[in-house]
Amino acid sequence: MISDRVKSNLKQTLSESLLPKIGLLLLVSIVLMAIFAPLLATHDPTRTGYYSEQGSEYPPIGHEYTTQVASEGEIAEITVEPTSEHVLGTNNVGQDVYSRFLYGARVSLLVGILGTTMALVIGVPFGLISGYYGGRVDDGLMRIADTMLAFPALVLALALIGVFGESPVMVPDPFVMAGLADGMPESIPIPGTVTIVVALVTWVWFARVARGEALSIRNEEYVKAARSFGTSNRTILLKHVLPNSLTPIIVLASIQVATIILIEASLAYLGFSGTTLSWGYEIERGQDVLRTRPWVAMIPGIGIVLAVISINLLGDWFRDALDPNIEGEAR
Amino acid sequence: MTETEMDTTTRNTNAEEILRVSGLSTRFFTQEGQVNAVSDLDLRIERGEVFGIVGESGSGKSVTARSLMDLIEPPGEITEGKIEYNDPDLADAVRDDYPQAVDGEYVDLLEVPADVRESLRGTSFSMIFQDPESSFNPTLTVGEQLAEAVEVQRRASARPRSTRAKTQDYTLASFALSTVLPSREYVSEESRERAIELLEMVGIPDPVERADEYPHEYSGGMLQRAMIAQALAGEPDVLVADEPTTALDVTIQAQILDLLAEIQEETGMTIVLITHNLGVIARMCDRVGVMYAGEIVERGTLEDVFDDHVHPYTEGLLGSIPDLEGARGRLQPIPGNVPSLLDSEMEDRCYFADRCPNAMEDCLDHPPEYDADGSADHEVRCVLAERDYEESRALPEGYFGETERPAADKHADPDRTEEDVQPERAEQPVDDSGGDRL
Amino acid sequence: MSLGKFLVRRILQGIFVIWGAITIMFGLRAVSPGDPANLMLAEGATQELVEQVRREEGLDQPIYVQYFDYLQGIVTGDFGYSWQSNREVEAMVIERIPATIELAVAATIVAIVIAIPLGVISATRRNQPSDYGATLFSLLGISTPNFWLGLMLILVLGVWTGVFPTGRRPVGLGEAAMTFAQTGSPGDLFTWLRYITLPALTLGTYFTALITRLTRSGMIDELGKPYVTASRAKGLPNVLVRYKHVLRNTMIPIITVLGLQMGTLMGGAVITETVFNWPGLGLRLIDALDARDWPLMQGIILFIAVAFVVINIVVDGLYSYLNPQVRE
Repeated sequence: MISDRVKSNLKQTLSESLLPKIGLLLLVSIVLMAIFAPLLATHDPTRTGYYSEQGSEYPPIGHEYTTQVASEGEIAEITVEPTSEHVLGTNNVGQDVYSRFLYGARVSLLVGILGTTMALVIGVPFGLISGYYGGRVDDGLMRIADTMLAFPALVLALALIGVFGESPVMVPDPFVMAGLADGMPESIPIPGTVTIVVALVTWVWFARVARGEALSIRNEEYVKAARSFGTSNRTILLKHVLPNSLTPIIVLASIQVATIILIEASLAYLGFSGTTLSWGYEIERGQDVLRTRPWVAMIPGIGIVLAVISINLLGDWFRDALDPNIEGEAR
Repeated sequence: MTETEMDTTTRNTNAEEILRVSGLSTRFFTQEGQVNAVSDLDLRIERGEVFGIVGESGSGKSVTARSLMDLIEPPGEITEGKIEYNDPDLADAVRDDYPQAVDGEYVDLLEVPADVRESLRGTSFSMIFQDPESSFNPTLTVGEQLAEAVEVQRRASARPRSTRAKTQDYTLASFALSTVLPSREYVSEESRERAIELLEMVGIPDPVERADEYPHEYSGGMLQRAMIAQALAGEPDVLVADEPTTALDVTIQAQILDLLAEIQEETGMTIVLITHNLGVIARMCDRVGVMYAGEIVERGTLEDVFDDHVHPYTEGLLGSIPDLEGARGRLQPIPGNVPSLLDSEMEDRCYFADRCPNAMEDCLDHPPEYDADGSADHEVRCVLAERDYEESRALPEGYFGETERPAADKHADPDRTEEDVQPERAEQPVDDSGGDRL
Repeated sequence: MSLGKFLVRRILQGIFVIWGAITIMFGLRAVSPGDPANLMLAEGATQELVEQVRREEGLDQPIYVQYFDYLQGIVTGDFGYSWQSNREVEAMVIERIPATIELAVAATIVAIVIAIPLGVISATRRNQPSDYGATLFSLLGISTPNFWLGLMLILVLGVWTGVFPTGRRPVGLGEAAMTFAQTGSPGDLFTWLRYITLPALTLGTYFTALITRLTRSGMIDELGKPYVTASRAKGLPNVLVRYKHVLRNTMIPIITVLGLQMGTLMGGAVITETVFNWPGLGLRLIDALDARDWPLMQGIILFIAVAFVVINIVVDGLYSYLNPQVRE
């Protein structure tokens, strides 16, 4: 499936250039951060009410701000100092920003990976069948794909969520169940509809790429030979067409994880995610206090940018090393 | 050299040399290491002659051509040598600023700034390429592209030589203006008309209509004619023709060569003709240089090279021409493969020794150029010019290891592309391209 | 195939796609949980009132009758009434179009003006500091969610430095132009420009980054082609080789990619309008979604789908016009 040549190309590109190394390092750190979030977190990310004595949010370490409080009927101006309890401060409902940052990585990556997998599962067979059989089957299937493409991904996602609601799925946290992380939430909410919806709006790209590959592979000599031996179409598709079209699909998948993370963040920002433990949702919350407590919106945004950059760098690495021909990318 | 030998030379040795290339080395600095595409190359090209350069693919012919045209791009670089061009006007124009570049009427082009060399392209030097289809821009009409070449010449001749090199007359601002104002376009109406004349001159029927067509609407032969027309637009002194017929059908090849010969006769232009095809050389050239591994290994008049050759490589090349009458029997390919030009793999010896049937101990030293019998121009980089082959001094068989390198060897490393190592386009090796099909 | 024939075929395909889009929208509405009549009325409405609304809206009819009514409505330009405000959907869509187009066009201009020179510099000065700078910028640009970028721009250029205003814009381009025509005072136009700058930068950044990347890689490919060497050999000035030949040929395939990316632009517009409270279609779509206002939501989404299909037909036509090998 993945040949030695592909592996050696990947290795060579990695050793020659700096950017893939940075991407890999960044992504590994983010994945580790997401997996071990319950162990790394200092507070329960969903617990509210961490305020200073005067009832103000804590700023991140290295930053202080002045705010007005009412005390004994008078308005007084006070300076709020950061606390080592909350290294990145607290948000406007008094939650620990650092702990929420860690948990946000879980939601982003899970939605990215699950969504991409589902899009693969829908799109690749669709495209392979369309390209391999050609003719009327191809025409019909491609018109369906064109219709899907007529909707901007985000707009279609909004419409679908409008219909199906948000329905978060609660996934139990293995660390808490094993008793390794007491005081952390027992389960984390994965935005169920969002995961399905991002797959529904991005599978078309996989279908297009898979179709293009199948179209060229079906005319290869070895496929013609297999057909002349009476091999069934299904076997040919699974044994010849699929393995030989994997390279561009892998490259596209890496790009799509980034795309889906951005769509999830956008949906959460617009308030259609179904979980509050999302970087996008946190930014929406921070928007209300942008002027006075800018860190609330700023910090989760840095998380999104770093996650997406690391995946894009990885995608560039695959693309440079494997050199497939992919025409576009969706977002 | 005796008096009688001098008399037998067919050429006037006092003819003016238009180009004097000495010690030219062009190297490519690739990831695999330094590639010596052209090493210590000398050439003397006389005004009005057709000089042929022949060799297998990867011998450095095309790099030589591009070095003459100053078209070497990174990672390539001309590292040493002189390219002296005889042009009294140019010599006068640059004498004050670059005295070290000027020698009488000759100007060393590698000693003057790049913009001076650039100003010579099109007007003094012009080039035609192997593959006409990819050498035209697919999205502009053929007429437009020819008119551009005419415009280069018109603008150059409108200004005195002394200011030509120093003024960058066409800037980004003028281009930006031309996209808005049609009157400021680079190409003028007169140039477009001249382009049509040029198309007619090279024998393209309906030139007015064809000028408005795109390259993909032309046949290969027609397009090569158009490229010749484009090269003639600047009325150059020297035309470098890099494999001008290789990409064409056999029947078209002859027509294109006839056209070149005709134009050469009319204009008296000097042509440097680069080919792997000895048939083309025999038909077109006055003198010829045989290239191998970035050097000229044998040079002289046609008679010298075809009848009095000394170098076993020349012998091998000639042996590999299929003879139509079958008199010479079977086609004899040269055993072995084109040598690696990687600096790290080149040993200090005769580069042909590993493929040479007559390799001797003497061949383990890099041979200088020896005078050889025949005309005064006949020189050869082979010890056989000085001594006869002696069985007793022969190198033992298998001395260089496996000489028969597999053909795929140079592609074994996927990243070492043809372009990295041999910056000329892939072409048929001599032994199976059949030079004598004309 | 002639350009005319090609366009006719593309338009027929486009009509099919739009029909598909209408059908999908209808299907979504049909499977949507919850009785629309209940959504339309305030809670506590009497059963009779609900029945009456169902009859008026045709909701008591079989599904296929509803479908054909719906199709017929769209064909005759009747998209129904907003459940929220009881206004005509067409009017509600049309009044919001100019603001969105102003934003999209401004963003596209930002993208083109910045990206093409950046891509050219990057491609022609490979592996120099300016190339690394452009590469880093484009990597950041395609990786930054635009709502966050918008907020950060508001924070830095609006709140902290006060260079640009941050509230809802007081005047649209149409009104500003009218004022200018009538009174000769450009004040409103400047105000409009100050208000559109940050949203246009927010929406345009992803495209700037994308076009920079595409221009760079496309131009590097193109610069390696033999015709470039041939153009140099004939003495053509470098500026002409680079722009008239290479850049032109680089842009032709990029146009197609941009057509496909128009969906991203429209999705981005929805977000940007939300961040900046920009009175365009996207903001109205979010309002309609929040209120589950189906007719309005459908009207807006259909408009976007149609716009997307039309833009892509235009782009395809432009591509075949610019590329003589396709035109024939």
